Amino acid sequence: MMNLIRILYKKEMLDASRDKRSVMAGLYYAIGAPIVMCLLFTVLLKQLSSPEALEITIENANGAPNLVRYLEGQDISHGESSGVKAITLVISEQYPVHMSEGKSAEVIIIADKSDNKLIKSVRRLEAALARYNSEVAGLRLISRGIDPSIMRAVSVQTQDQATPDSKGGMFLGIATLSIIIALFYSAMNLAIDTSAGERERNSLALLLSHPLSSTQIVLAKVAAIASYSMIGLVLVLVVSKFAYGMVPWEQLGFSINIDIMFILFCTLIGLPIALMSASLLVFVSFMAKSFKEAQSYVAFVLFVPIGLSMMTTYDIGTDYVQWIPIAAQQYAMIEVIKGNELPLLQVLLSSFSTLGLFAIFAALSSRMLKSEKVVFGL
Amino acid sequence: MNKYGNPLFKLIRFGLIPLAIACSGLSNAKQNNNLLTPCYVDGLEDRLMCGSIEQPLSKKENNESIEIHFAVIPAIKETKPTEAVLAFAGGPGQSAIEVAAIFARNLRYARENRDIILVDQRGTGKSQLLQCDADSLEEQFAFNDQAVSLFKLAEEETEACKRKLKIDLSHFTTVAAASDFEAVRIALGYETLHLYGASYGTRIAQEYMRQYPNSVATAVLDGVVPMQQSLVAIGEAIDDSLDALFQRCAEDTTCKLQYPSLSSDYHELINKLQESPVKVSVRHPRTFEAIDLTLTESKLRGVIRMALYGHTSRALVPLVIDSAYKGNYIPLVGLLGNENTFGAIAMGMHSAITCGEDWPNLSKENRQEFSQSYFGRLMIESLDASCPLWQVKPVDPAFYQPLKTDTPVLLLSGGLDPATPPSWAELAMVAMGNAKHLVAPTATHGVASQTCANKIIGQFIDSASVEELNAECLNKDNTKQYFMNINGPVVSQSSSEEL
Repeated sequence: MMNLIRILYKKEMLDASRDKRSVMAGLYYAIGAPIVMCLLFTVLLKQLSSPEALEITIENANGAPNLVRYLEGQDISHGESSGVKAITLVISEQYPVHMSEGKSAEVIIIADKSDNKLIKSVRRLEAALARYNSEVAGLRLISRGIDPSIMRAVSVQTQDQATPDSKGGMFLGIATLSIIIALFYSAMNLAIDTSAGERERNSLALLLSHPLSSTQIVLAKVAAIASYSMIGLVLVLVVSKFAYGMVPWEQLGFSINIDIMFILFCTLIGLPIALMSASLLVFVSFMAKSFKEAQSYVAFVLFVPIGLSMMTTYDIGTDYVQWIPIAAQQYAMIEVIKGNELPLLQVLLSSFSTLGLFAIFAALSSRMLKSEKVVFGL
Repeated sequence: MNKYGNPLFKLIRFGLIPLAIACSGLSNAKQNNNLLTPCYVDGLEDRLMCGSIEQPLSKKENNESIEIHFAVIPAIKETKPTEAVLAFAGGPGQSAIEVAAIFARNLRYARENRDIILVDQRGTGKSQLLQCDADSLEEQFAFNDQAVSLFKLAEEETEACKRKLKIDLSHFTTVAAASDFEAVRIALGYETLHLYGASYGTRIAQEYMRQYPNSVATAVLDGVVPMQQSLVAIGEAIDDSLDALFQRCAEDTTCKLQYPSLSSDYHELINKLQESPVKVSVRHPRTFEAIDLTLTESKLRGVIRMALYGHTSRALVPLVIDSAYKGNYIPLVGLLGNENTFGAIAMGMHSAITCGEDWPNLSKENRQEFSQSYFGRLMIESLDASCPLWQVKPVDPAFYQPLKTDTPVLLLSGGLDPATPPSWAELAMVAMGNAKHLVAPTATHGVASQTCANKIIGQFIDSASVEELNAECLNKDNTKQYFMNINGPVVSQSSSEEL
């Protein structure tokens, strides 16, 4: 029995590899997605981070030369070039008088805080002004004979448990999402071709006329499709490793580091998903009456795993989402890349239920192959 | 068989070759991670990794050991796992781990790709701290140091500290400490280090380079102490830095108007205090209780000296001097009571360094030269009193040779530095084959924390070359305007009263 499956598997692999163009087309996702993603990330990071030399508009700079020089020391200066940000700092007319009398001297920040491209720069300006504020206030206290440290009634020390690897947040989610999707996309056209396509070429009936059980046929097909999924997975991981290494994450104070342990881990937990995805694709393709119909169904059905993965990516699911197949594996991937402890129970349980789904879809497919309606697409 | 296998084999090979490349790049496993546990320091949110190793106290007698503590600030994106930046603290006597927040800022750009290692030098911080007891603020305020001889005072303090520490300070010199840093490097598994030393830290950095030249890829010396130079020579730099402050005020129209005779007021005030200290009742800077202040020459000079280290405190100096001259000592009290921002100095370790390295080679000419400044005289006298009691073994004279090296070295100096003036860096680099000296004209002590030098340091470490460093930004004026009254750097505007 195993021998027959093996021979059939070889036939499927040979069949698939003959059409090199369509195989490569499937794998293009694995190569292209991380690269496109990284280009997008690089552009996005540039927008999110504040430029090193921040240029804003300062009005009435002569009213507060000391403040303006302080800001220049923080690389925030008045500029008139094209790179100037839409932030205006207005120093009030009364600033010098109020400063010398010990009243609060007013400065106004004018900016649109809903603009994501500005928000980092606005916060940076606010932080710099707050530091200047406490510096001058501290000196005012010293000149009154008081230690400024009394202003710190409570000394707040934050101990951030995050590491540079775990601060990636949403970026980590999107990166792992693109890896999981590779499992589904790399072998999608192969799955349709080997089931709906085989039927359309009338070779499915021929195959069934051999002394093989329909289960054997389904298992061999699923194994071949899963093999291509795994090749896609390994490719996407390797390309990601190099592509993500190029993104200047450090500008935002974190990094996404895909190391060899992570690649091995993903390959391991990817195997059940590849089998499940293959059996799902075969099942859906057989359900359809024609090749074209199968394409539409498959595209539609793939929304389910992608949706599950999205829930983890955007962290919208409640705790129990972390136990659902695919969402759970992605959650585990994120934890591993962050360097946190592996949620072993979740991984094992979701992997078993993924294998369970594989068994169900495989069984359903093999049952369908017993029906003439399905075999001949009636 | 082959007929079937081939296309598949090709596909797999296609996937496996990059994988193999990925493996080879990462297989150089580093770092002995069981040494390290997560830890935090004040002023820094980031999680550091701390650890310690055991080191023999003395290389000759093997019976006692000392625990050397260290912390690693992890790189943001570790693209250079075999390299790290080793930062040396100043003082001598400062704990590198305690000032981790300052190092993290100074080495911000270098940290993007490399870990930063901070080691508490033996005798400081957590590595067998050698600290003497200090008087409380009330005692310091009330004490009349002019009523007793400085020599006798230093002797008494030394005896008390010696009784407390009960240890031979000869084990705590720069030469002895260098091997601890190397042991930490080996324990953590780094192949090469980029050194960053500030102030006294530049001396231990140079000694480390001398003893372990192969461990060092580059070195940044910020506020340079040349091997040939005694720390006692500091007095002249203090005077120059204060003179520069007086001059800047005299050249500024508003400051000149507000404080027309600042320099002469200061010297007149000192003459007055030399004759007789001023006794006043003041408010404690924190508790606000009435306490006694005996203002002496050394207290006035000492507090002004410490204020010269940073531009924020420099901004107050004219106001403090002017008020004190006019009999209002409150701003001075504020400056005296301002908590030391430099981190506590371990005085025992400080004495080990100064008595072992800065005192033994004081020649007659040196003494004469350094005695021209007040602080030179002060240091010579207190070292003459304490060092014979500490009995630290004098360092080998070869120690005073300038460091000879072809490793890329970047030297940084501040033009207004009241401790290590630019001329010291020139002296340090006489035997360096691949060194560059950059001066930030308006910076004080520690250029990296005040200017864009942190960027230049990042560039230098990345390129490991002193060529093509863009040092233009160091010329930016980073001084602050002096306070014109107790509210700020703006002159009181009489016009406001019209409103």
